[in-house]
Amino acid sequence: MTELPDMLAAGPEIFLAVMGMVLMMVGVFSSEKRALGIVSGLAVASLVVTLASVVWMADGRIVAFSGLFLTDSFAVFMKTLVLLGAVLVLIMSENYIQREGMARFEFPVLVIYATVGMMMMISANDLISLYIGLELQSLSLYVLAAFQRDRGRSSEAGLKYFVLGALSSCLLLYGCSLIYGFTGTTQFEALAVLFTGKESAASPGLVVGIVFLSAGLAFKVSAVPFHMWTPDVYEGAPTPVTAFFAVAPKIAAIALFLRVMLEPFGGLIDEWRQIIVLISVASMVLGAFAAVAQRNIKRLMAYSSIGHVGYALVGLASGSEAGLRGVLIYMAIYLVMNVGAFACILCMQINGRMVEQIDDLAGSAKSHPMMALGILVFMFSLAGIPPMAGFFGKFFIFTAAIEAELYTLAIIGVVSSVVGAFYYLRIVKIVYFDDLLEPFDKPIGRSLGTIMTLSGVVTILFFLYPAPILDSASIAAAALFPG
Amino acid sequence: MDELLREYLPVLIFLAIAIGISVAMLLASGILATQKPDSEKLSAYECGFEAFDDARSRFDVRFYLVAILFIIFDLEVAFLFPWAISLGKIGLFGFWSMVIFLGILTIGFVYEWRKGALEWE
Amino acid sequence: MEAAVVFLPLLGAIIAGFFGRMIGDKAAQYIPCVLLTVSALISYYLFFAVALGGDPRTIVLFEWVTSGELEFFWSLKVDTLTAVMLIVVTTVSAVVHIYSIGYMHHDTSIPRFFAYLSLFTFFMLMLVTADNLVQLFFGWEGVGLCSYLLIGFWYDKPTANAAAIKAFLVNRVGDIGFALGIFATFVLFDTVRLDDIFALATSKSDATLVFLDIEFHALTIICLLLFIGAMGKSAQIGLHTWLPDAMEGPTPVSALIHAATMVTAGVFMVVRLSPLFEQSDVALMVVTVIGASTAFIAATIGLTQNDIKRVIAYSTCSQLGYMFFAIGVSAYPAAIFHLMTHAFFKALLFLGSGSVIHAMSDEQDMRKMGGLWKLIPVTYALMWIGSLALAGIGIPGTLIGFAGFFSKDVILESAFAAHTGVGTFAFWLGIAAAFMTAFYSWRLLFMTFHGAPRCDEKTLAHVHESPRVMIWPLFLLAAGAILSGALGYHLFVGDGMATFWGDSIAILPTHTALADAHHVPVWVKALPLVMVAGGIGLAYYMYMVRTDLAAIWAEKLRPAYLLSFNKWYFDEIYERLFVRSAFYLGRGFWKAGDGAVIDGVGPDGIAASTIRFARRASALQSGYLYHYAFAMLIGVVVLVTFYFFTGTGG
Repeated sequence: MTELPDMLAAGPEIFLAVMGMVLMMVGVFSSEKRALGIVSGLAVASLVVTLASVVWMADGRIVAFSGLFLTDSFAVFMKTLVLLGAVLVLIMSENYIQREGMARFEFPVLVIYATVGMMMMISANDLISLYIGLELQSLSLYVLAAFQRDRGRSSEAGLKYFVLGALSSCLLLYGCSLIYGFTGTTQFEALAVLFTGKESAASPGLVVGIVFLSAGLAFKVSAVPFHMWTPDVYEGAPTPVTAFFAVAPKIAAIALFLRVMLEPFGGLIDEWRQIIVLISVASMVLGAFAAVAQRNIKRLMAYSSIGHVGYALVGLASGSEAGLRGVLIYMAIYLVMNVGAFACILCMQINGRMVEQIDDLAGSAKSHPMMALGILVFMFSLAGIPPMAGFFGKFFIFTAAIEAELYTLAIIGVVSSVVGAFYYLRIVKIVYFDDLLEPFDKPIGRSLGTIMTLSGVVTILFFLYPAPILDSASIAAAALFPG
Repeated sequence: MDELLREYLPVLIFLAIAIGISVAMLLASGILATQKPDSEKLSAYECGFEAFDDARSRFDVRFYLVAILFIIFDLEVAFLFPWAISLGKIGLFGFWSMVIFLGILTIGFVYEWRKGALEWE
Repeated sequence: MEAAVVFLPLLGAIIAGFFGRMIGDKAAQYIPCVLLTVSALISYYLFFAVALGGDPRTIVLFEWVTSGELEFFWSLKVDTLTAVMLIVVTTVSAVVHIYSIGYMHHDTSIPRFFAYLSLFTFFMLMLVTADNLVQLFFGWEGVGLCSYLLIGFWYDKPTANAAAIKAFLVNRVGDIGFALGIFATFVLFDTVRLDDIFALATSKSDATLVFLDIEFHALTIICLLLFIGAMGKSAQIGLHTWLPDAMEGPTPVSALIHAATMVTAGVFMVVRLSPLFEQSDVALMVVTVIGASTAFIAATIGLTQNDIKRVIAYSTCSQLGYMFFAIGVSAYPAAIFHLMTHAFFKALLFLGSGSVIHAMSDEQDMRKMGGLWKLIPVTYALMWIGSLALAGIGIPGTLIGFAGFFSKDVILESAFAAHTGVGTFAFWLGIAAAFMTAFYSWRLLFMTFHGAPRCDEKTLAHVHESPRVMIWPLFLLAAGAILSGALGYHLFVGDGMATFWGDSIAILPTHTALADAHHVPVWVKALPLVMVAGGIGLAYYMYMVRTDLAAIWAEKLRPAYLLSFNKWYFDEIYERLFVRSAFYLGRGFWKAGDGAVIDGVGPDGIAASTIRFARRASALQSGYLYHYAFAMLIGVVVLVTFYFFTGTGG
């Protein structure tokens, strides 16, 4: 009863949480000028250490804390992505936060807390730990969104996110309580046992619970119709925060979504598949169409991410191991190309002032050929044009959908990615063929340049050596489909 | 069913006593004390706000900050009571869990102190 | 040897076409001429070896297609028929090449002209030496292409371009028939090789093809389809409208392609396939009627035309009609005989008229000529020879006479001797056409060379005899126009014809029209000559004695005159029926189909609605928190409802 739990399974999370607190103390006790420098350096370092320990510990399935927490190769894969995203965003944002009046050491600390929350989400094995992780993540993100508190848009973004996030938490909790009420357990494994091998074991109340739960999760991944916060928050939040939003929480939430749907409720796939299909179609279509009319690049990226979540959900809807593997590959590629794209967006400043309109990009190929090339690569990849990595992401997803005989879904997906190609290519067109109005500042900064180059190279050359990602995705996918 | 209700009987008694005492207090003050009402005395007092006013008025964010900080520690105490009662059953693990929790809260407290959140001016 | 005949012109074409700029105009003229002359000389040798020596041969060059049942080679089949065609083609072509040196020497793109001319000759030789239908079709399309290129040689002239396109399109109609004919042949015989087809022809004479649930006599269908191809190429009535327009090309082209060789390809093809046509009486009947009608109608049109080349063009059309109705009565040798003599005298007439046009500074309207005979006497004399040959002047029963006399008369006699309804029909139309031929030929002569000059002084002062390089070749053609009939009569259609033709032409024993032609009544033999004399006399009377008579008659017989002058309104009818409806159809497809439906609904429509939808979708994003929250709640309700309505749950 009182024996100590297996702390080691949660080692990385514990380490990171402790580091978060340590950094907070370091920051608050060092002089204001140096605080940010020290804290961000240490934050990057501790994230890297966490990443290393996550990868190093990647062995088998361990359940800890009386079944609340688990780690398996799926969790390892997803945590790796999340941590990578967090590290890259922290490095990228260095310049920006110095410049834009948000030079406070809390920024990296909040990123760390959010990351801990995400890792909890990924490793959740119980509805309660799921909620704890989700809230830890969300609360940090609310603050991050409003981090530029002197600026109206940023505060507005934070507030909107907070209010709607609270609403979604309500839905989620209500869903959880319904599930608990109808099954008498919150444990994933217990739930899974309850549903395997029984025909329509789900009572309507339970399914309503699942619907509420998925609504809450859909909010976190910003799937239609729970996406409404995304464009406003993406636009209003400081750009590095937007970059962070676009990568890490999304990956974590997708991971959670996948685990919840496939593990405890895997036996009910026929019940929830229609709902996922509906959400997925709506996301793909809205993401593709609404983005066409956008003039702000961050808003556009918001709709783009909505669309991408739609594609990822296609893989979930197929409900197979291949589909899951497709989603994992997709998220890995999504991480790389989004980081790259946001690195490009972070270069968009004129006379020390950040600009966000797509038209500001006009003709930048003439002044910044490398950045323009980067935009070209990332937009092509986001649009899914071979041989860029983005193509393979979509390819595996749609293959899985077709194998699962979800033909309509696959067709809608392909059609909407054609529409989506329009706005991605329009950016390329503006960059390369329009007349240069006002050139962006030079130089763009070493860290930005490095990240842009790295992610660009990965995006282009993915097809040459895809094995590491494909293999680890296969292993990770197998974790959710034992036997 | 009866079993269940019987378990709630102490709560009912508790309620009855509480209501009885408060009613007695109100009655006693009404009967025994001298009444000199004026408008200030008759208006409801609530943290410096008009009780029946538009809620959308500005107030100093420092009130809010203090309230939030209060709530955090309030909740901490709320956690402490059940922990204290069940300490014998949850053993060392339970004990250290709470210590860590308190440690975390302390770190937060140190942070807000250093940040100057506790200074009114 | 055989290959040399065919490929020397190709070599010339390649040299002149690809290296013309490098070697200069002079070389680009002379090299093709020399190569063609060599080719012509070899073909004379072949004629003696193959036709007179009785030694037909087939030379296989290399494999072309082997695909299942379909197997054929590039090969050269030289028998008597081919040998005759070889000398006709190479001779006329060589003459035209040489003549062109003079005629085209003002032109700016001489190498191109000679390249086309030689290329044409190559294709024509491929056509006549084909031993399978596909190679025949290859040559057939090749000459069509060259014809198109040469008609539109002066591509800066809109009329030339229009004429070229018209020729190409009208020929396409025929070519569809030809191609279908080839397909049908393959279906029936499982081969496209001529020798195999001929060997099987008799055994398949009762075969049928089922099309649309109707049984057709297979060979009749095949022959009619093939004949449609021949009609297009040989400008038979219905598909003849391109030929007069083709006169927009340079005159040497008209002489070579549109008089002597390409237009006779249809005749050649039908004669080549005589074993098939012999099996189908219906097809032969159709051929007769079409040929006779063409001979007559084209002649009537020729009566009233004023363009010197158009008159000759309609005359060509009319003469081709003679050849076809000769075929129709199974007088294939007569058709080929006429083909050969016609090649000589018609080329002579064209080149002569080219000489006139050259002298008149490119004037073609006869109404603006007149009185030229003293100025260009040699040309005048040559035109007389050509006209006499065309009209067919000679003394019946002897070997004295111009070439056309022998060939045309034997055709008319065969038609009479066929003793069939269509034969008699053809005979009388042919007689009428002969009268008109004589009339318009002399009308041409009188209007061009006699009477008072009607051109302006400047042109008149400039009139000159053509250079020797243009005149000398004409002498050769004139010799042919005078002698070829008498020389060839015995071999082609006389007693020697059986040995001469050998296996190259098949005639059923029951089809004896040609053999009987020698035993027709005297009046039949004399009638053409009388008609010709009458025609010449009438022309003399109208254009030399009573020059006002033409106008008066035109007025009195106005409907007939207009019918003839407007070429029986063929162009107008086609314009109404096909061209305009095609335009309407095209415009309909363009505006309604492509513009409204495909662009409107398709790319443009989808793009527009995408943008509209995008506006709507982003308008949903109002920015108000309660809208967002409301949307989320609605979303949950929708999902739950959706779940219950799809009925997947309990």
